[in-house]
Amino acid sequence: MSVPDYMQCAEDHQTALVVVQPMGIVPEDQFFRIYKRIASVSQVSIRDSQRVLFIRYRHHYPPENNEWGDFQTHRKVVGLISVTSCTTTKEWPQTSDRFQGQKEVFGSTLYDSRLLVFGLQGEVAEQQRTDVAFYPSYDDCPDVEKRVEDFVESIFIVLESKRLDRATDKSGDKIQLLCAPFEKKDFVGLDTDSRHYKKRCQGRMRKHVGDLCLQAGMLQDALVHYHMAVELLRSVNDFLWLGAALEGLCSASVIFHYPGGTAWKSGARKPGVSSAADAGKRHRPGALTTNGISADTSTEIGRAKNCLSQEDIIEKYKEAISYYGKYKSAGVIELEACIKAVRVLAIQKRAREASECLQNVVYINLGQLSEEEKIQRYSVLSELYELIGFHRKSAFFKRVAAMQCVAPTIPEPGWKACYKLLLETLPGYSLSLDPKDFSKGTHRGWAAVQLRLLHELVYASRRMGNPGLSVRHLSFLLKKEVTQSLENYTSKCPGGMEVISLPDGLKLPPVSFTKLPIVRSVSLLNLPVSLRPHKVKGLLGQGMSSASPFIYSPITMHSRGDERSKKIDFQWVQGDVCEVQLMVYNPMPFELRVENMGLLTSGVDFESLPAALSLPAESGLYPVTLVGVPRTAGNITINGYHTSVFGVSSDCLLEGLVGVKSSGCMVEVVPSLPRLQLCTSLPRSAHLSSEDLSTSVSLRLFNGEMQQLTITLENIGTETLNTLELTSKNLSTKEKLFGEFLTWDLQDALSHLPLKSGQSVSIPVNISAKLDFSGQENLLHDLNDDGISVTGLPVSSPLRQVLKPRAENKPVGSDASKNEFNHVKMLEAVLTFKYSGGAGQVEGYSRELSLGVRVDVEPSVFFTRVSTLPATSTRQCHLLLDVFNSTEHELTLSAKNNQDLVLHASECQRYTHTHTQTPPSLKAISQSQRTSLLLRNELFVEGVLNQLILEHLQLAPLQWDVVVNGKPCDCDVIADCRVGDAVPLEVKLTNRSKSAVGPFSLTVVPFQDYQNGVQNYDLQDAVSFIGSNTFYISTVKPTENSVCVGALLFLYTGDFYLNIKFQDDSTARDLPPAWFCLPSVHVKAQEPVEL
Amino acid sequence: MNCPLYIRSVPTQGELKFHYTVHTSLDVVEEKISGVGKALADQRELYLGLLYPTEDYKVYGYVTNSKVKFVIVVDSSNTSLRDNEIRSMFRKLHNSFTDVMCNPFYNPGDPIQSKAFDSIVSTMMVQAC
Repeated sequence: MSVPDYMQCAEDHQTALVVVQPMGIVPEDQFFRIYKRIASVSQVSIRDSQRVLFIRYRHHYPPENNEWGDFQTHRKVVGLISVTSCTTTKEWPQTSDRFQGQKEVFGSTLYDSRLLVFGLQGEVAEQQRTDVAFYPSYDDCPDVEKRVEDFVESIFIVLESKRLDRATDKSGDKIQLLCAPFEKKDFVGLDTDSRHYKKRCQGRMRKHVGDLCLQAGMLQDALVHYHMAVELLRSVNDFLWLGAALEGLCSASVIFHYPGGTAWKSGARKPGVSSAADAGKRHRPGALTTNGISADTSTEIGRAKNCLSQEDIIEKYKEAISYYGKYKSAGVIELEACIKAVRVLAIQKRAREASECLQNVVYINLGQLSEEEKIQRYSVLSELYELIGFHRKSAFFKRVAAMQCVAPTIPEPGWKACYKLLLETLPGYSLSLDPKDFSKGTHRGWAAVQLRLLHELVYASRRMGNPGLSVRHLSFLLKKEVTQSLENYTSKCPGGMEVISLPDGLKLPPVSFTKLPIVRSVSLLNLPVSLRPHKVKGLLGQGMSSASPFIYSPITMHSRGDERSKKIDFQWVQGDVCEVQLMVYNPMPFELRVENMGLLTSGVDFESLPAALSLPAESGLYPVTLVGVPRTAGNITINGYHTSVFGVSSDCLLEGLVGVKSSGCMVEVVPSLPRLQLCTSLPRSAHLSSEDLSTSVSLRLFNGEMQQLTITLENIGTETLNTLELTSKNLSTKEKLFGEFLTWDLQDALSHLPLKSGQSVSIPVNISAKLDFSGQENLLHDLNDDGISVTGLPVSSPLRQVLKPRAENKPVGSDASKNEFNHVKMLEAVLTFKYSGGAGQVEGYSRELSLGVRVDVEPSVFFTRVSTLPATSTRQCHLLLDVFNSTEHELTLSAKNNQDLVLHASECQRYTHTHTQTPPSLKAISQSQRTSLLLRNELFVEGVLNQLILEHLQLAPLQWDVVVNGKPCDCDVIADCRVGDAVPLEVKLTNRSKSAVGPFSLTVVPFQDYQNGVQNYDLQDAVSFIGSNTFYISTVKPTENSVCVGALLFLYTGDFYLNIKFQDDSTARDLPPAWFCLPSVHVKAQEPVEL
Repeated sequence: MNCPLYIRSVPTQGELKFHYTVHTSLDVVEEKISGVGKALADQRELYLGLLYPTEDYKVYGYVTNSKVKFVIVVDSSNTSLRDNEIRSMFRKLHNSFTDVMCNPFYNPGDPIQSKAFDSIVSTMMVQAC
């Protein structure tokens, strides 16, 4: 016997074997339908007795196994049912002959046989035979079961008679020696009369009777016979049969102890063997019934003695196996005994002993096994290990079986079977093909082994001719570990995202490369400043959050929801490119090419623009910006991204990723808005530090210079621009600015609105830089002090008060101070264009485009000192300006109606300007050699005169007018008069101050200046007054005037001066002395004209 | 968890075979632990003895109280290694493993990369061969 039945279990010992075979041409499916119906009759209660006969059906049974029927009767084919098709009566005799032939195969052991003929219509020619049944078709055979039952009963009758026959004839006649097939020749020529031989015969026969009793449902009798057989056989050292007797004993005990059966699942057993379900319902003789009392009370008595305890069963099994082990030819028996023992152990939950037993199975050498048998053997081992809970061992053998399927010796490797078996091993290696399980927590299981298994899966699926599967597995493998061969496959079959379903129902979920590359953070980027939409304020209720009726609440609304579902507080605009930044890194030791990387979104039509990137090996964090264009307005949610790595497309959802930082993935998309592009006549420059600006320009101007900037706005969007506003804001500057920094005229531009797509408009903006570069405090002090030094003739100048003595040796214009003046000042301003249009305008959105203007103002010319110098006239004074040219260029300075003054680079010159009523404005004209400055070379410089100087420059509020001879006199005016004529003198006081002044007294004192420092006041005889020389002025109210009139008579010719002395009566008043600065009068007395 | 923290074999070729051997031996280890657990949970003998013999190798097992498993596979033909020697090897291994666990920079569950542990294993392997 060379074919082991791996499905054997202990209960099989009590069954009778029936072979059901097709005869001739029987369709396979029809045969198995009939077979199933036959096999459903697996136990038959025998009439008039409480016994039950169990039947084991086989549709295939090797005749050489049948030869072991004497050794163990359940191996003996006792019944044969043939199924055949026979359409015409003509065929019938032939069919009948074939049935005879088939019977002869098992002829020696058959108790009974049946032939089921299908398809024969009409009359059956031959007379009714009990062993033949005719059915018109395979579908029309209602009494098959009934017939099988009858058949089983007839078998039982034969069995019972044989049992009784064998059980009774124990004495007297010579007992026949039962032999195992390989033993037959050993006993040739042996002395058949020896006691030893007789005992052997007896023992073997006892054992045989035990087998028959067990089959016939007499468990108790069987136990007794087995015990006797064991004793007999032990005494004659007939080990093979001793083993068989022990095994029989075990089987009977197992049947007694475990009425539920030891076969673990019905599916694994060949159909026809009683299923576990109805095994439970079996009524077993000797077993306890539900009420706890055996139906046959007589059997109760001997049970305790004869039946083996649970431990003993195992002991005896081991003993039996060890005896079998002595015979090489009994390998199959040993193997099957082992398997049976394992099943019993599994039920007893003695896994370790079971594993030892199984270990033994591995070593049983059955000689040359066919490949199929090997596979079967390993599969069974695997199943048995599974049964005892050794999942790893089970997986190991399953894998061995799988490898056996494709062993190189097999001419046609069964890759499909291999693949199927390999898949079954996965749980044993704690490997799940679902990436969801994989990404959970830390790594589980035995990496090296898993890796190997996956490789095998890949190979098997490829050889199976299913490259799609192969790619899927490889992807998974890649996800776990590293390999590159995937690319070769994907070139033939792109890896997709759809679930691959295997024919056997197993679904392979798609494998996403979430780790290639690894994404660490996802952040949605706001639009660039110039493209951000701004909600127009002022729409009622728009800005208010409707979540709470309170304006302020200390309870902050915590968003309980997921971080990712949080809405971001900026908006994207329909039709504009939006960006999402991913921080990725490549954990692989090779360069990773990621193609077709794009965004997965929901909520809004989104056109994702895929990117391709190449990450260097084991790169650090690497920013990747994925872009896309929302095509409709609404709320958009970024769900994840898709990649194509090694040709495998993966969809990676953010929610499935671990360790991804995200600041929220939902953003509002507002309707489309126009887009303006700004370009300027000046080159762009670096952005200003302080604010977010779309563009900025910077230029360098000399103080006082003006330049025009032309800004061209082009509508590059698709929407029409409807509104445009322009505002400017000066950024925090402490400098005092004269006039407007930026001026523009928008009217022309506005007349071009609405601006269609592609059109442009230009706006001129004037930039003028007028700054005060002389603003240092100490400088002004200096100037003030210096005023003293330049004050010339105190007599003829308006009186000025000396505030403090001038510090000597003031290093004016030294290098140190020159550097101080030389620094560049900066002016910054932002021009903001606010525009709107299209659908976005309806929603109240607008866009802002800002242009930063930065001007570096270089000092050109500035006034280092300002001082006044009295002029000869009381109405005028000289303003002395020390003008410093801090540029590197030669300048020509011109002021109103004055001579031009040429200033060389870094030169300081004093510039005199006759005082006018207002502070002067100087016009400096640079004669620059610098080409860039040649464009605009006029500078307007304004300086600030401080209050003190201004006071000096202003005329005193009391205006004194002296009129001599009807002619107003001032310093430079010489009044002519004739000797002997009375010269009228009029002193007029006009009060321009805000309060009344007076009373004053004035005394007119004439004197002669000899121009040598001597002044002669003794002129009583040369000049005489007509009237008083002293005037009295009473109170003069504001804006009023008072006039004192007198007359002088010059007696001699000559130059005379009149000094009008002033006396203030009111000591309480302290009016500034400058207010009383009266002009000195120069009178030239001449000879009277000779008529 | 039962994932390998440390595997070493000499010679290195055919290492995968030992992976399989050790992996399947875990079945026996678990069976042994669960079997003993019922009787004496606290004072369990850490040394599990011979797990199972194969044709060429003997597999011994050892389980710490924290259920960390050590498995030693030796050549069957090596008669110098008896139960006592194996037992002392396991004890050494356990001590060294304890040192590894004491390292504050070691995360339990990570593969062991300690040089000290490595050298202990190496010396044991030299002795055994």
